[in-house]
Amino acid sequence: MSLVFRPKHIFGETFSSLRRNFLMGFTAITTVAITLFIVGVFSIIVFDIQSVLNSIENQVEIAVYLKDNISDDLKIYIEDEIKEWPEVEEVTFISKDQALERFKTQNEGSDILKEIQGNPLPASFEIRLKDPQKIEQVALRFVDKDGGNIEGVDEVIYGRNYVKKLFSITAVTGTIALLIIIILVLATMVLIFNTIRLSIYARRKEIEVMKLVGATNWYVRAPFLFEGSFEGFIGGGIAVLLLYFLNRFLLIKGETALVETMRIKNLALLGTDNVIIFIYLAIIVIGILIGLLSSGFALRRYLKV
Amino acid sequence: MNMIEFRNVSKIYENDSAALKDINLVIKKGEFVFMVGPSGSGKSTFIKLLIKEISSTTGTIFIAGRNICNLKNNRIPQLRRNIGCIFQDYKLLSDRTVFENIAFALEVIGKPNYIIKAQVPQVLKLVGLYNKMDSLPHQLSGGEQQRVCIARAFVNRPPILLADEPTGNLDPATSEGIMKLLSRINLIGTTVVMATHEKSIVNAMRRRVVELEDGIIIRDQKRGVYGS
Ligand SMILES: Nc1ncnc2c1ncn2[C@@H]1O[C@H](COP(=O)(O)OP(=O)(O)O)[C@@H](O)[C@H]1O
Ligand SMILES: [Mg+2]
Repeated sequence: MSLVFRPKHIFGETFSSLRRNFLMGFTAITTVAITLFIVGVFSIIVFDIQSVLNSIENQVEIAVYLKDNISDDLKIYIEDEIKEWPEVEEVTFISKDQALERFKTQNEGSDILKEIQGNPLPASFEIRLKDPQKIEQVALRFVDKDGGNIEGVDEVIYGRNYVKKLFSITAVTGTIALLIIIILVLATMVLIFNTIRLSIYARRKEIEVMKLVGATNWYVRAPFLFEGSFEGFIGGGIAVLLLYFLNRFLLIKGETALVETMRIKNLALLGTDNVIIFIYLAIIVIGILIGLLSSGFALRRYLKV
Repeated sequence: MNMIEFRNVSKIYENDSAALKDINLVIKKGEFVFMVGPSGSGKSTFIKLLIKEISSTTGTIFIAGRNICNLKNNRIPQLRRNIGCIFQDYKLLSDRTVFENIAFALEVIGKPNYIIKAQVPQVLKLVGLYNKMDSLPHQLSGGEQQRVCIARAFVNRPPILLADEPTGNLDPATSEGIMKLLSRINLIGTTVVMATHEKSIVNAMRRRVVELEDGIIIRDQKRGVYGS
């Protein structure tokens, strides 16, 4: 197959076609952008929740914060007790000084440090379990008969409620999102399909002559495939730009707040993670694929070679 | 050498109308053949089979000794590069000049620019339109438009030239000029097959005449006339 690369042939048509059917092309590109933006937002949320879940499960499963006035005897007694429990994989004592040290390294350069006076952070036991499922059962051992905490313990954090909520939120929103995305992708494909159909129609005489004088099938198809993928590419690009700003000005702040309320340590923040670059690239690739596929369908339907 | 050979070729369209029935025909290299017959007798079907715009229902067609019936889809362009084709309605692109219309045919088969620049003026001289190369089709007479169509079909020097009622829209005097041009192209070795139902043109030329009626060859004459 001899397909001589003629940029004018492949690219030139796209622009004259976009000029000819500006409204159609514009609508198609906008729909691609909206669709992929929503895909992007949900991917980010799903990846985020996943990373929060991972952090909760893999890092501190139960943090037992101790009262500042706890006696050494009681502290040692509680530690020995915890070590006896068969569910426990590892227990680490974090003193007040260590807690402060860690807080400082985690918030290096932040204004928060200037506002800290003395050491407001409590000492704690961090308990890792062999089986994360047992987390509630173990955590409840720090609760006494009246529903308060046992002596010497200020607060027990184990994120179980967050985990449950996150799971149910992801399940429901995930299903709804998937439905919305499928509908939007179909709508997008119909719109691109239509722009390509119009382009084929507008160029039907040229196509007839091309086939008559022996242009290869790919030579005839190439401009339309390019036009479709170009619309997908531009739509995907716009979606990525929107996502970038959304992430920059909303998500990262939201995530930081989330991390602070949940006291999760060492959480890999998606907003600053390489994963987001991957999501951006994937969105552009998906845009191009949607465009290629839609124009492919249009060619099958309207361009018999 | 047999340029075109039909062996027991039938064409039945989807709606069960049999346009050609069991056609056997040999056309030698360098021949000039008229396919004649009334409207609906199967002339255009014959032409379309040769460029594989449609496929035969049964039988085999050979072009330059090669069976084109089992030709793969991606080999069809190669076949068409070796067959020039002209029509009653010219099929010119109205937004391109004469030069551009012909250059287009070379461009889309991947010919480099320097070949285009050399071959287009040459073929325009052959058809007598060298000084009109910058005109748009609507600025030309019917006869001139048909010459552009011939130039486009012939610019690549194909061994076969097919013409489907090329003079259908032209007056007798203009038609004569077109026939002279086709004769000249035939004289330099091109095999020409021309479908027509115009008796005067056929009779003036005294070439081989194959007459179709309802999809059957009813006459094949060496130096024939039509409806004498
Ligand atoms: N695409 C088609 N579908 C169905 N029937 C067709 C088609 N093209 C031609 N025919 C029929 O085949 C017969 C021969 O047509 P055609 O080859 O065009 O004849 P001619 O060119 O001699 O006028 C006619 O009866 C015509 O109606
Ligand atoms: Mg006809």
